[in-house]
Amino acid sequence: MTTIDIELLSVSKQFGANRIVDDISLAIPKGKFVSILGPSGCGKTTTLNMIAGFEAPSSGQIRIRGRDQEGVPPEARKIGLVFQNYALFPHMTVAQNVGFGLKMQGRPREEIADGVSRALKSVHLEGFEDRYPKELSGGQQQRVAVARAIAPSPSVLLLDEPLSNLDLKLREAMRVELKEIQEDLGMTFIYVTHDQEEAMAMSDRIIVMQGGVVAQEGAPADIYGSPRTSFVADFIGKSNILPASAEPGADRNLKVSLGAGKAVLTAARGDDVAPDNVRFCCIRPEAVRLAEAAGALDEPANRLTGTVQKVVNLGAYIEAWMLVDGGITLKSMIRSTRLEKLSAGCRVDLAIAHSAVQLLEQ
Amino acid sequence: MAVIICSTPTKPLRAVVPVKGLLPLIAPSLVLVLFFAIPMGMMIGISFQSQTEGSPTLASYSRFFSNDLVLAGLARTVVMSGLVALCVTVLAYPLAYYLARATSRWRTVIFALAIAPELAGVVLRTYGWLIILEDRGFINSALIWTGLITEPLPLSKNLFGVVVGLTHVILPFGVLSLLTSLQGINPNLEKSAQILGASRLAVIRHIILPLSVPGIVSSFLIGFTMAASAYATPALLGGAGFKVMATMVYEQVLFYLDWPFAAVMANVLLILMLAAGFIGSRLESRLHQKLHL
Amino acid sequence: MNRLLTYLFRTALAAILAFITLPLVVVVAASFSPTSAVTFLPSEWTLQWYAALWDSRWLDPFLLSVELAVIVSLASGLLGVLGAYSVAYAKCPGHTAIMALLLSPMSVPQIVKGVAVVLFLSSIGLYDLLGTPGLVMAHIILTLPYVVRMAATAMFGFDKRLDRAARILGASVTQRIRYVLLPLIRSGLFSGMTFAFIISFNNIPLSVFLVRPGQTTLPITVINHLEYSLDPVLAAVNVASLLFILGAIILFEKIGGFSAQFHGGSK
Repeated sequence: MTTIDIELLSVSKQFGANRIVDDISLAIPKGKFVSILGPSGCGKTTTLNMIAGFEAPSSGQIRIRGRDQEGVPPEARKIGLVFQNYALFPHMTVAQNVGFGLKMQGRPREEIADGVSRALKSVHLEGFEDRYPKELSGGQQQRVAVARAIAPSPSVLLLDEPLSNLDLKLREAMRVELKEIQEDLGMTFIYVTHDQEEAMAMSDRIIVMQGGVVAQEGAPADIYGSPRTSFVADFIGKSNILPASAEPGADRNLKVSLGAGKAVLTAARGDDVAPDNVRFCCIRPEAVRLAEAAGALDEPANRLTGTVQKVVNLGAYIEAWMLVDGGITLKSMIRSTRLEKLSAGCRVDLAIAHSAVQLLEQ
Repeated sequence: MAVIICSTPTKPLRAVVPVKGLLPLIAPSLVLVLFFAIPMGMMIGISFQSQTEGSPTLASYSRFFSNDLVLAGLARTVVMSGLVALCVTVLAYPLAYYLARATSRWRTVIFALAIAPELAGVVLRTYGWLIILEDRGFINSALIWTGLITEPLPLSKNLFGVVVGLTHVILPFGVLSLLTSLQGINPNLEKSAQILGASRLAVIRHIILPLSVPGIVSSFLIGFTMAASAYATPALLGGAGFKVMATMVYEQVLFYLDWPFAAVMANVLLILMLAAGFIGSRLESRLHQKLHL
Repeated sequence: MNRLLTYLFRTALAAILAFITLPLVVVVAASFSPTSAVTFLPSEWTLQWYAALWDSRWLDPFLLSVELAVIVSLASGLLGVLGAYSVAYAKCPGHTAIMALLLSPMSVPQIVKGVAVVLFLSSIGLYDLLGTPGLVMAHIILTLPYVVRMAATAMFGFDKRLDRAARILGASVTQRIRYVLLPLIRSGLFSGMTFAFIISFNNIPLSVFLVRPGQTTLPITVINHLEYSLDPVLAAVNVASLLFILGAIILFEKIGGFSAQFHGGSK
């Protein structure tokens, strides 16, 4: 039995001279929550449409459950799909909406009723059977859309930015709920989004797309912790990205020159980047720490002094811009408890762990 | 007639430019009253006049409803308009659906082809149909030449010819009203149905048709009202024996000079239109409610 | 199955489009045919019918129709803007009622409007007003609602924040109307006037009651002939007047630039 649910083998999509998706290959394992993450226009929706069968790839192959899908229309692919605007049938009740897929399969009435109540139960919408979509709130409509998609028990569910029409609070609650539904059903979820926080919160795996190609693929923590390109570093979370060059240093570390060589940091040597190819260096703001707080740091760190330029209070954290020796500005995230000590013009001692200095080729 | 799509504004706007009352409204209102309201009122008044006595009378109305020829004309009008409305809607639907969904560059061409004949006016098109449907016309001479028939088929100077001609004249309006309705259907609904396993036919049956019923109603209504008040096409394609309300009114005014009777006929036609419009709009709002749009 | 449906659908579309274009093609073909009997694809071609158009029999009605269309479109444009302006901007609670009133002639069939105007003029003894004045009157009533509606749509679509922006920048009422409002509603107004021009030029149901014998508009002249014969010169008249209308639209579009309004149905 294969454990790969959906496979894309060098799939490309061209509209005229425009290459929207450029030779991507993916293998999406069964039962996982996989996000396709990227800014608008990166090709993620086109990829989704090709998996669903609304668009045919210009070249390459799409396999679902091991079978090539060429020429298979959407209605025969047996997958679920949830749209951003829910696309509930306005002239049908909740029960009719949810039962539509089963009805199309020609299932007997009792079986449809069963499937409907099971699907509604898993999205916590029991008792809403006879309402019309118009009578529901945005969050409820969202749940109906999910229930409708899972009712025919597809092995894969595609979700196209399903939460972006909800307000922030609801969005956060729905993240948890979607993840729970996915785990309960053991279904493969392919979740398309431009919201990196959403992708981080729910996914087992994230596929970051940019300009029609896969920029990086991996577990959320890996992508956040070791972005492979400056695009990924910038798109996922906040970061300081600086042009840099590197040469071998002491103790198998690398010597990284920033700001035209006026500032030098030490970076733990990564295995995958050759010193000659280093173009950028990325430091997460939370890794730029005040030296006193970093006292307990049990790993080797760069020690710097700098001047606070600007402080922005974000509540739980403050964001501070520090001008450090060598003329480089670094952004730092610091717990608010130290707020009173920081204001523009302060001199501060900073520590940045060697391992927190990420080196990037592009 | 050309057709330009515009929706009636729904939200009133607060004053942006201060105006002294409704001063600018005086001229259009005056024109409207003088050229429209007064003549309409007068026509209604005339319908109660008698040619001999001075006091108001229902004589012309009772003459209308006891005249078999006139009643036959009224019935003919209703039948003809119903048939035209049906044909318009049936032919307009595929075209409107294509225009609502297509994205290729053909769309612009087909849109222009569907709408542009409106510019040509009724006369040109009716003339075209006369040439095509006449006894010695295009179709009959072709059929006789192939030997399929020996006598020309009766394609014009009858109900068939009129329905064909009127359907052609009114079709663009049907297309536009269906187009508005079909464009209002979110294409993702179709995609959702498809991915849930619905075939093309099932998508049409369960999603597109039910959701476009208001458009179907309004297309039918436009077809009916435009056909019932059309003059030139029934007069030319129907021939001398084909009398409908519009042509009968014309004869009363210009040949028989029986103004009260002409006014009665015009009023009956007006009431028929208003009733159709009223029923149609009630039906439409009902449907909107029922479909939870 | 799906492929079969697609073919069926395409065939139906092609048949419907053929139905729509056939009469036009036939008339154009007839206008070049030397015989009065119209046959499929005439073997010879002639321009004699177009040459025959240069005759007061056709020129006089044509000039009357043009005169009428110009007066009607200008007048209903002016009245329409005034009406739409009041409806859209006046501080007045009843503007929906006013709008309904201004649009009310639309719900009365043309033939009924025609009867009303002719009975009105005849019964108050103003027979002299039959002909051009009566025609103008009736046509304005016909076209006014369309122009009002289009101008009003343009005004409702007008973003009131633009007016506020102009105001805060120090523009007076007249400056705001001149530099902000009018340029923005211009295309809506022009499309309304073009529409009025075409309706008036092609009109039959009103004109048929109001023309004077011997002084008729072009469409009425044509139907009067059509009742007796299918003279190919009529085909030439029709084609020529269609070309005239297309020319007029292009001219209006050059002046008014309303084509954006015509993209009805674009997504």
